[in-house]
Amino acid sequence: MSVEAATHARPGQGEAVNGTALPLVVEHVAKGYDLNGQVVPVIADLSLTLRKGEIVSIVGPSGCGKTTLLNTLCGLLAPDAGRIRWHGRQVVGQPQNVGYMLQKDLLFPWRTALANTMLGLEIRGVPAAEAEDRSRAMLDQLGLHGFADHYPATLSGGMRQRVALARTLVNDPDVLLLDEPFAALDFQTKLLIESDMVSLVRKGGRSMLLITHDIEEAVSIADRVIVLTRRPTAVKATYEIELGSDRADVISLRENPDFSRYVRRIWADLDVAIQ
Amino acid sequence: MTTDIETSMVDASKPAGSVPSPVARAKWKRARFGIAVLATQALVLAALLVVWERATPKGSPAAFMFGSPSAIAGFLVQMAQDGSLWRDAAVTGTETLLGFFMGNLVGTLLGLSLWYSRFVSRVVEPFVIALGSIPIIALAPIVIIWFGTGLVSKVAMSTLSVVIVALVTSYKGAVGVDGDQIYLMKTLGASKFQIFRKLVIPASLTDIFAGLKLTVGFALIGAIVGEFMSSSEGLGHAIFKAGSLYIIPKVFAALVVTIVLALVLTWLVGKIERLLMPWRRRA
Ligand SMILES: Nc1ncnc2c1ncn2[C@@H]1O[C@H](COP(=O)(O)OP(=O)(O)OP(=O)(O)O)[C@@H](O)[C@H]1O
Ligand SMILES: [Mg+2]
Repeated sequence: MSVEAATHARPGQGEAVNGTALPLVVEHVAKGYDLNGQVVPVIADLSLTLRKGEIVSIVGPSGCGKTTLLNTLCGLLAPDAGRIRWHGRQVVGQPQNVGYMLQKDLLFPWRTALANTMLGLEIRGVPAAEAEDRSRAMLDQLGLHGFADHYPATLSGGMRQRVALARTLVNDPDVLLLDEPFAALDFQTKLLIESDMVSLVRKGGRSMLLITHDIEEAVSIADRVIVLTRRPTAVKATYEIELGSDRADVISLRENPDFSRYVRRIWADLDVAIQ
Repeated sequence: MTTDIETSMVDASKPAGSVPSPVARAKWKRARFGIAVLATQALVLAALLVVWERATPKGSPAAFMFGSPSAIAGFLVQMAQDGSLWRDAAVTGTETLLGFFMGNLVGTLLGLSLWYSRFVSRVVEPFVIALGSIPIIALAPIVIIWFGTGLVSKVAMSTLSVVIVALVTSYKGAVGVDGDQIYLMKTLGASKFQIFRKLVIPASLTDIFAGLKLTVGFALIGAIVGEFMSSSEGLGHAIFKAGSLYIIPKVFAALVVTIVLALVLTWLVGKIERLLMPWRRRA
C-alpha cells in the first residue's frame, strides 16, 4: 500500500460517473474578504470532489480558510470565482439535503432536546407527529434515550453535541458538511460520538466532508484526506486512506501501523512549525 | 446567581441520621436563603422607620417638613377607610397597565420588525434617538390638548414613556442574535419569516423582559405626570393635592401606595417571564 500523495482533485470531472452526478464538485473556487476596502484573499483557487458514500477530511493550518470554504459550499457566502455544483447542478441559495454542523452546538436554549432535533423537519413542514417520532428515534439511536425532554442547559457538552448531530441527521441529508464538530469535546467522548456518526453515515450511504485540526481524526474517519496550504489557500495534497475493510471501527483503526504512517506524512505536509 | 453561592456552602451543622434527598436539601437551602434576604430587608426597613419616627416627634417642625411614619400610617388608614386609596390606586393602576401594555406592544413590534430590514433600521435610527431624548414631561401639555383631561391622556403619557425604551431593547435583542444560529436556520432551509419566528423572537425574549421590567416604572411615572398636569383622581392627583396643601405625610402615604403598585406590577412581569421562559428556571 502506498502512502504517497495522490494527484490533485480532477476538476471538470463533474458530470457523470456511472450515470449519476457526483454529490459535490468544486471547481476553481476563489473567495476573499473585504477588509476596510481591501480584498484579503482567503481561498486562492480550490477544486475538490465528493463522491457518493465517501468521507473526505480537510485539514489545513489554522486560519487558512476552512470555515470560509464550508460556508461558501453551502451557499452562505458567495464565491468570487469558480463553480460549485451539487448533484451536477449549480444552486442559488442553500443546497437541498445538506446537513451542516459546527463546533458550537448552536442548540436553542428555549427548545428541549426533542424540539431542537425537530427544528429542520418543522421548517420543512413535516407533520408534527411524524417529526416527533423520527426525532425521538434519532435521539434514541444516538444514545439520548430519556433525555428528549431536557433543555440544553441541563445536558453535558457531549450530549449537546449528540443532540446537534441528531438535529442534522434527522433531516436525512445526502451530504454532511462538518466544521470541527467535536473539537470542544474530551478525547473519549469525541471518539465515541465519532464512531456512532461514522457508522450512521456509512450505513445510510451518505457523503461527508469533515474539517478538522486533528490529523488522527482525519485519517481514522476519512477515505480521503485533503491538505490545504496556508492562506490564500489551495489544495496542497490529497491522500487516499486505505486501512482495510472495517472503517466504521474508528477506535481499533488507530492500532494499524499504516495509520501512524499516514499521520506522519500529513503532519509533515501541514508544516505547522513554520508560521 | 446568588443561589449558587448559597447552595455551594456545605451545611455541617445538620445532625447525621435523617438524610434528606439532595433535591430537598437544595430546595431547603434556597428557601432559607430567600428567608434570610427578606428578614434582612425587613430589618433595614424597620431601622429606617424607627430613626425617622424618633427624629420627627409629633408637633415638631421636623414632623411638618418630613412627615413621620406614624402620621403616614394614619393617613394610609384614613385613605383606606374613606375609599380614596383604592379608587386612586385603581385609576392610576389602570392607566399604567394600559400604557405599559400599549407602549410595550407597539415598541416591541416595531423594534423586532426593524430586524427585517437593515435599510429601514438605518433610516429610522436617528429619528428614534431624537424621540428618545425628548423629556416626556415636556409633551404633557400637548398630550392634554390632544387627548383631553380624562383617562386617554394619562394612558397616552404612559405609552409615550414606554414605547421608545421597548423599541430599543427589543431591537437590540433582535440584532444580537448569533450569526451562526442564523446560518444554521438557513442551512435547514428556513425562510426569513421562519428565522424571525423560530429564532429571532424567542432569542430576544430575555432582552424584551429586561425592557418590560424597566418600563413598569416608566409607565407609572408617565401616568402620574399626566395626573399632575390635570386630573380629578388617581395617585398623582392625590400627591399633587396633598403637596399643594402642605400635608406632607399624606404625600408620603400616596407615594407608599405608588411604590406598592410598582412592586406588584414588577412581580407580575417576573411571574409571566418565568411562565414564558421555562427553560431559564432550570438553568
Ligand atoms: N467575516 C470575515 N471578514 C473578514 N475576514 C474574515 C471573516 N471571516 C474570516 N475571515 C478571515 O479569513 C481567514 C480564514 O478564516 P476561517 O475562519 O475560514 O479560517 P479557518 O481555517 O476555519 O480557521 P480555524 O482553523 O481557526 O477554524 C482568517 O484569516 C480570518 O481572519
Ligand atoms: Mg474554522
